[in-house]
Amino acid sequence: MRSFTALLHAEFVTFLRDKATLTFTFLFPVVFILIFGFLMRGTGTVEHARLGLFVPTDVTNEILEEVIAHSGAIEITRYDSESALENSLGDRSIDFGLIWDGEKLTFLYDSSRVQENYAFVEMAQGIGSEFNLRHQGLAPVLTMERVHAGKAAAMNWFNLVVPGILAFSILSAGLFAISGHLTAMKERKLLDRLIVTPMRPLALLAAIACVRLAVVYISTLITLGIAITVLHLTFSVNWFHYTVLVAASTFGMMGFGTVIALLVRKPSSASNIANVLSMLMMFLAGIYFPIEIMPSYLRMISKALPLTYMAEAMRFATGVADMTLVRFWAITAALLAMGILLFPFLARYVVRVDRR
Amino acid sequence: MKGILLIARSHLTTAFRERITLFWFLVFPMFLLVILTLIFANMGQEGEINFPVTLLNEETSGGMTDFAAIVEGVFEKAGEASHEGKEPLFTLTQPSPGEDMKTFLTNEKNELRLGRRAAVIVIPSGFNQALLERMMRPDSPPTTESTITVYTNEGNVASEMATSIIEQIFAGIDREILAQTGRFDEGRAVPIETLWVGKNGEEVSYVDFLLPGMILMGFFVTGLFGVPGSILFARDRRILRRYWVTPLTVPRYLAGFSLGQVGLCVIQFAFLYLLGRFAFGASISFAKPESLFFLILASITFLSFGFFIASIAKTANSGMAIANVLNMPMMFLGGLFFPIGGLPWLLKAIVFVNPLTYLAEGLRTSLGVQGETISSPLTIVVPLCWIAFCILVASLRLNWDVER
Repeated sequence: MRSFTALLHAEFVTFLRDKATLTFTFLFPVVFILIFGFLMRGTGTVEHARLGLFVPTDVTNEILEEVIAHSGAIEITRYDSESALENSLGDRSIDFGLIWDGEKLTFLYDSSRVQENYAFVEMAQGIGSEFNLRHQGLAPVLTMERVHAGKAAAMNWFNLVVPGILAFSILSAGLFAISGHLTAMKERKLLDRLIVTPMRPLALLAAIACVRLAVVYISTLITLGIAITVLHLTFSVNWFHYTVLVAASTFGMMGFGTVIALLVRKPSSASNIANVLSMLMMFLAGIYFPIEIMPSYLRMISKALPLTYMAEAMRFATGVADMTLVRFWAITAALLAMGILLFPFLARYVVRVDRR
Repeated sequence: MKGILLIARSHLTTAFRERITLFWFLVFPMFLLVILTLIFANMGQEGEINFPVTLLNEETSGGMTDFAAIVEGVFEKAGEASHEGKEPLFTLTQPSPGEDMKTFLTNEKNELRLGRRAAVIVIPSGFNQALLERMMRPDSPPTTESTITVYTNEGNVASEMATSIIEQIFAGIDREILAQTGRFDEGRAVPIETLWVGKNGEEVSYVDFLLPGMILMGFFVTGLFGVPGSILFARDRRILRRYWVTPLTVPRYLAGFSLGQVGLCVIQFAFLYLLGRFAFGASISFAKPESLFFLILASITFLSFGFFIASIAKTANSGMAIANVLNMPMMFLGGLFFPIGGLPWLLKAIVFVNPLTYLAEGLRTSLGVQGETISSPLTIVVPLCWIAFCILVASLRLNWDVER
């Protein structure tokens, strides 16, 4: 027990002294939310569009104006020439343009807005369809009513992103605790020195796990707190589910880090592989953009990534998405099992002496 | 001159001997190019996306004017792949014969809540009669029976995209029904045209948009991590001190180092360009004086930025920490990969002082893949100001030897 306490203290002090790890653990989740959250909130959909409209003075446009007004969140800017409209489209003062010359509707798009045009085209198709009916004095006969069937909190894009970021920061902390921190100790021959002492490898691993667990828990709480206070988000956190999930995910990711550490020949390569894998998972786990927009083979890869399930479970624990309790506990148990099962292998890794 | 070339060669060979350097400077930009192109290149294209959708037809009356069956038929067709090897737009779930509709709807709404469905469409009982009446009396308001309910999960982007597509399908069915009943005259339909403003009147492909950004990212990472990393580690390990006892002077070392750094950028450019061109069919050509000018300007800007980081960091580790903190915000808030409109003022401030914003704009405009959103002189002046500022700070602060 004394050795565990000493190691716990040493691990804690080491963590506090490591400015890079401190930055990654506490600052990066917040930076990720602010940067990626704002950058990617329009992917695949559009909340608010700016339409430039040019109608020559001798052409009536009452019907068109009514149709556009009926189309939802569109802000109209009127132009008195086609070239002025094109210029505004070029300098992005508007998102897409529309010319009605009395005979045809021409929708104009900025060819370089490759990630956004999809949503503008969808919007334009809606305007075109309704205008065509109204132009012949007809009204749509088919009416459609949208009913939101999900959770109220999930109606904000950031509500879904924040739990994903929390899951990602847990993944990073757990993964790099082994494929970063422990492998660096191995690289610097610190473990070789420790094994000639009466220290039990499990005491060291337990100390690392305890420090990381505490740090991850505090870091996710800070991130959540910033999301609530700065972005004015509402979460309905089930603290029991949340706490168990954070613990299980951290252990699980330490297990994942163990697999990497055991597979690579040089301990220093482990952190590079962990870096690549975490980056790959960040893009493919449906944290910033939906899995559904990806090609089928990427969707299959996404389903094989632990971060996909961690993000899903975290959304459930923070009350922004539904999930069956059975599924939640299955994910949590699988993560915990991965950590616990791999701990003995990790203990052997600690005491394995690397020959020079 | 020989000394300069030897330093340049040693810088290049060191970079290629170190796997970490090789990975971050060469493999990572290529990896990101592949991942982002695979995700975004075909976004929204039929055959590439698939949404799980439920359709419940509660209308059982049938008859001559079975509108419900028409709607059902259209969605069933959307549930089949249009071409072999392509995915259908919807994976359609419908109740099996004899299944209780109320229970089915409850279960499917639950699936929607759990994220396993993108939308649940319900055609109500009495739909055929109600729609017929609405067609007879166009001014009559829609009733519950004539309204198709689409259950969605707002906030879930997949659900919003699917609902938007469903709306388009309904608009098409609407027009078809009105045309078949002789009320909508297809001959008088207003033609709808599309005009792409920008590159030769065509839509820019995603890879053509991404590739210049990825090349700049490569240069940026090389400057941000490579320059302080190499100089500070060499200083801390007293390698530089050994140089200074030879006839090599600091300016000549700098010239050789910079030449090596530019060489790394050229290699990066070649690899990324070849990958974009031959793996993803990029069609942009960099063989234009303006494009080459921006590539050189970018390379020099990031080289001087690297010297700036090296001059403000006390040790190699703190240099790497500063570079790490600056890396993500500068890279993602420079418009290299994603549009940067609609950001809050604080993030916009970073966008406006970020040299990457101007270099990305200048390079893309010169390649014809982007219209001018920033005044052209600024795309040159701002990076030049950064170069001047970084060189000034570095010349005043950068220590070329460990403190005694």
